[in-house]
Amino acid sequence: MRLSVRHATTYRYEYDAVFSQHLLRLTPEPAGGQKVAQTALSITPQPDSLERHRDMFGNWVHVATLSRPHDGLQIVSEAVVDRQEREAMMFDASAPWEEVRDAALGISTTPQLGLVAPFAFPSAMTAADMAIEAYAKQAIPADTPVLIGAQTLCSRIYRDFAYKPGVTAADTRPVDSFDRKEGVCQDFAHVMLAALRSLRLPARYVSGYLRTVPPEGQPRLEGADASHAWVSVWEPAFGWIDFDPTNDIVPSVDHVSLAHGRDYRDVSPVSGVVIGAGPQTLKVGVDVIVAE
Amino acid sequence: MISLEDIASGSGLFARYGQPADGVRDEAIAPDGSVRPQWSRLIEWMAATGAAGYREAARDLSRLRTESGVAFGPEGTIGDDDEDTLPLMLSSTDWSVLQDGIVQRAELAEAAVADIYTTARTVSSGLVPPGLVYGGPAFAAHCAGWDQPPRQWLHVYEANVARLATGEWVILSERLDTPFGDGWLLANRVATAQALADPFSDIGVRRLASHFTAFQAHLDQLLGWDGRLALLTGGQKDSRFFSHAYFARYIGASLIEPADLTVRDGAAYVKTLDGLKRLDVLLRGVPDVSIDSLHRPELAAFGAPALSLAVRSGSLKIANAIGSAVLTRRALAPFAHRMADHLLGQELALHDAPCLWLGGERAREQVIAERNKWRIEGLTSIGGEVDLPDDEAGLSAVLDRVGERLCAVRLPPLSTAPVFGPKGITPAEWTMRVFACRTPEGWSVAPGGIAAQLDGNREPQALGFGKDVWVLQDRASATAPQITTHLRAQFNSAHLRRTGRDLLSRVADEVFWLGRNAERAEAVLRSLGTCLTRHLEGNQVDADPRVLSALLEIHAPASPGVEAADRYRDLVRRLTRDRQEAGSVPSILANLRSGAQRGRSAISAEGWRHIDRLGSDRRWRSTRLGNHPAALIRLIEDSLQALAAFAGSSQENLTRNFAWRFLELGRRIERGIQISSVIERIANADPAHAETYLRAWLTLSDSNTAYRSRYLMSVEAPPVIDLLVLDETNPRSLAFQVAELERVLSDIPSDIPYRRPEHRQTLALLTELRLADPVQLAETDKSGRRERLAALAERGDSILSEVSTLIARSFFAHSDLPEAVVAQGRMEPKK
Repeated sequence: MRLSVRHATTYRYEYDAVFSQHLLRLTPEPAGGQKVAQTALSITPQPDSLERHRDMFGNWVHVATLSRPHDGLQIVSEAVVDRQEREAMMFDASAPWEEVRDAALGISTTPQLGLVAPFAFPSAMTAADMAIEAYAKQAIPADTPVLIGAQTLCSRIYRDFAYKPGVTAADTRPVDSFDRKEGVCQDFAHVMLAALRSLRLPARYVSGYLRTVPPEGQPRLEGADASHAWVSVWEPAFGWIDFDPTNDIVPSVDHVSLAHGRDYRDVSPVSGVVIGAGPQTLKVGVDVIVAE
Repeated sequence: MISLEDIASGSGLFARYGQPADGVRDEAIAPDGSVRPQWSRLIEWMAATGAAGYREAARDLSRLRTESGVAFGPEGTIGDDDEDTLPLMLSSTDWSVLQDGIVQRAELAEAAVADIYTTARTVSSGLVPPGLVYGGPAFAAHCAGWDQPPRQWLHVYEANVARLATGEWVILSERLDTPFGDGWLLANRVATAQALADPFSDIGVRRLASHFTAFQAHLDQLLGWDGRLALLTGGQKDSRFFSHAYFARYIGASLIEPADLTVRDGAAYVKTLDGLKRLDVLLRGVPDVSIDSLHRPELAAFGAPALSLAVRSGSLKIANAIGSAVLTRRALAPFAHRMADHLLGQELALHDAPCLWLGGERAREQVIAERNKWRIEGLTSIGGEVDLPDDEAGLSAVLDRVGERLCAVRLPPLSTAPVFGPKGITPAEWTMRVFACRTPEGWSVAPGGIAAQLDGNREPQALGFGKDVWVLQDRASATAPQITTHLRAQFNSAHLRRTGRDLLSRVADEVFWLGRNAERAEAVLRSLGTCLTRHLEGNQVDADPRVLSALLEIHAPASPGVEAADRYRDLVRRLTRDRQEAGSVPSILANLRSGAQRGRSAISAEGWRHIDRLGSDRRWRSTRLGNHPAALIRLIEDSLQALAAFAGSSQENLTRNFAWRFLELGRRIERGIQISSVIERIANADPAHAETYLRAWLTLSDSNTAYRSRYLMSVEAPPVIDLLVLDETNPRSLAFQVAELERVLSDIPSDIPYRRPEHRQTLALLTELRLADPVQLAETDKSGRRERLAALAERGDSILSEVSTLIARSFFAHSDLPEAVVAQGRMEPKK
């Protein structure tokens, strides 16, 4: 299915900012089941410089610098991607989780060690505590095939947690959202990562979009879609397999992946530094529609 | 050959120095009781000098250390000055073993850091467990996988080393992330060589100068012919500030803080008054996790956003690279053997003190089983801050959770060396910090170091002053020509490179406010002094509490509805004692001192001493201050004198560069504002007291003599107004301040063809003052109010405040606005 994505981020500053600098991770990359047909990025006002490089995870990162006074900033990213239907997979056939852990820790050998090792350890935003460790062990008992374990964990988070916008923030840690048993997609992804990494299983944070289908008979509202986040789990033979704990599904044609990293901080779509702007307001709108 | 018995009887200092224990190497005394050759000349000198003579030299050394602390230290003072004064002697053979080992370790560290951030083959090949690299926050993902990585990641290397009881050198900890303790090495050497001049020159100690000359040559290669060099420090609160300030001066680098840096178009710039100046080489004294707030917003509160991008584009070279933290301290220790073999193809020469990496299950089990034998600490400089439970199960859970970030270390018995203390000279276990850097010919190790006695916990202490390590020349180097560049000569050449226009915007801001606060302090002190003296003299007319309290109300609002006498007493109490009162002496002095501290690089050492002494005068904290008006008056006089001394020293000792100009701008604006508020009071004064006000004003302005010498008559309004408002030759008049302000502003080069707005405003006010007529200004209306005078004062006040704001906007804009770090707000889909 060909999807067209438009992601607009608008900042309004109370005073003129004399300088601002932003990291943009808004350009999707080809991934499992995803081809990228075209991408475009436009920034208003025109930045004084716009550089592009790849980060160590392979994501495209733009750095926009504005050094003349400006009272706001709009960043619009547009992309057209082709998503393939997910193939049926036999998660039963995946390796026991202990084997996957040993491979990621370099105890047994795997040619992919260099690629998976950065994702096996708790980061600042995926640190676990005793409760999360116990939760992980319950969902993934000894000798469980790792993808079966990941799926169980994904389903349990979906079952045990309430989806509730506004109760957590961008910097909420999984130990807190686990305690509350509520949050949004970012929190669920972080909790799942914290649980998997407490067992030293390699797993990545994936940022992207989810196409929403309006209820029968209602028109689709503009900007109603959202930036989304889920988790990708590694298995030596299967590679990286995505799990969406917010919806308890394995992502397929409706998900568009944008960037991946160890946690939200590695992939936050727009982040930056502003000098002199004072209080600011932020508006984000995402549209994912089927392209003709 | 001399023996222990000889020296024990000789100077008395060694009376308690016994025979070394069996199997324990002593640096000074050989197992047979003879003095080792490298110590003999120092010990002979001590014997000849005697205990009293040595103690005097030791006191000299402490004083010299304190003095360098006053010149460079963060608070103008530095640590305790009772650090050991006795140098530690090393033979040329001892040194060459250590030196070769350190050079290899530096090469190993370079190869390992380069590998981790490029191909990471050490990890993917299984040589090093992944958790060692990726298990903690020290790994800098934003610096990994670049197309064009830096050619050299490390330029400086420091390590704590110790010598085992068996005589073998070991590494205790490697410092790759924030080295630049070199300032202490140099300052310690300068002080020691001066205090112990006789033995130092007599013994033939290897000098440090050629090592640093070679480092300079390396930096010159990186810089090209006109490159700019800076040393980045965390500022006054940084515990290494002394070393940074000292070394920056020595090596000819500007001392900057992260907020002074900005990155544009892939290049790093320093914010100066003259605009952005491109930076080519940065000596990094700030932990790498604390810079580049664009990539590490959670940790890098210090700023310098996007700094890593300037390195990535190749335009900036950082010593050491961002990301070095990943192998700092103990991270190399557990696998150094394998890495030396694999990365250098060499056998490791210098081993580590026993160190277990707790990312491995077996190591965790071992450390739990042998809990008492090991000390658990962070593997690198960050990420290891965890509470360790006492119980086995709790400890085991914590180690399982974050073991990758921790290691367990053990210190075997060490060699002993003579240390000097209150009881004379005794043997004690010791460690030392060594300093290496790149030169055009490869790594070089500074021949020397800072040694210290191990404390009770056997943990090496933080770097500071300590035992200067004297390395004896070997026969080859004794005959080879020594580079005898004197330390002083280097200071001077470094100083010549500094020009006024390079003044950092941040420092200009500080200096400007320093000028304002100094004037503000003087104004409140003068008002208090005038009032207290009059009150004490008790002259019915002059001491009218209504007049006195009105004068003090310029500095703090009076409590409403209270009788004048009470109002006056309350104001005196608040202005002299209340730290919560913004206009009070104690709070202004506190601001003055902290501002002077931050702007110290731009004011003279003497000027700083005056402010420091004034700001720390204990009498202002005394609770009995209010009960002794005479003592208070004396204190006020002393304080005014200190301010006058500061003003004098900045007039006399500062070149008329940018710093001086901003100090002067601050002073003139503040004094002008203060005078304007006094004028306003006088203009609106009750006519019954008019003359009292005028007399008080003359006293306040220190202008009694000037007035009497001109008019020799009773006090009349027009001549007083002329003298104190319009007379441009009187340094206490409003016109003088505005004229001086205009002069300084016109001296500041402008990049626009017309006058800057702050200059235009000043000119308008100056013209108004020049055209004013004192007789008209003195005219009173029916109620006795001098309306024209009041209007003039009001305009003076508002224009000067506006000029201050405009100056801040034109010159300090980048420095004083806070940085907001914004994270993307999250879109939250409906479920």
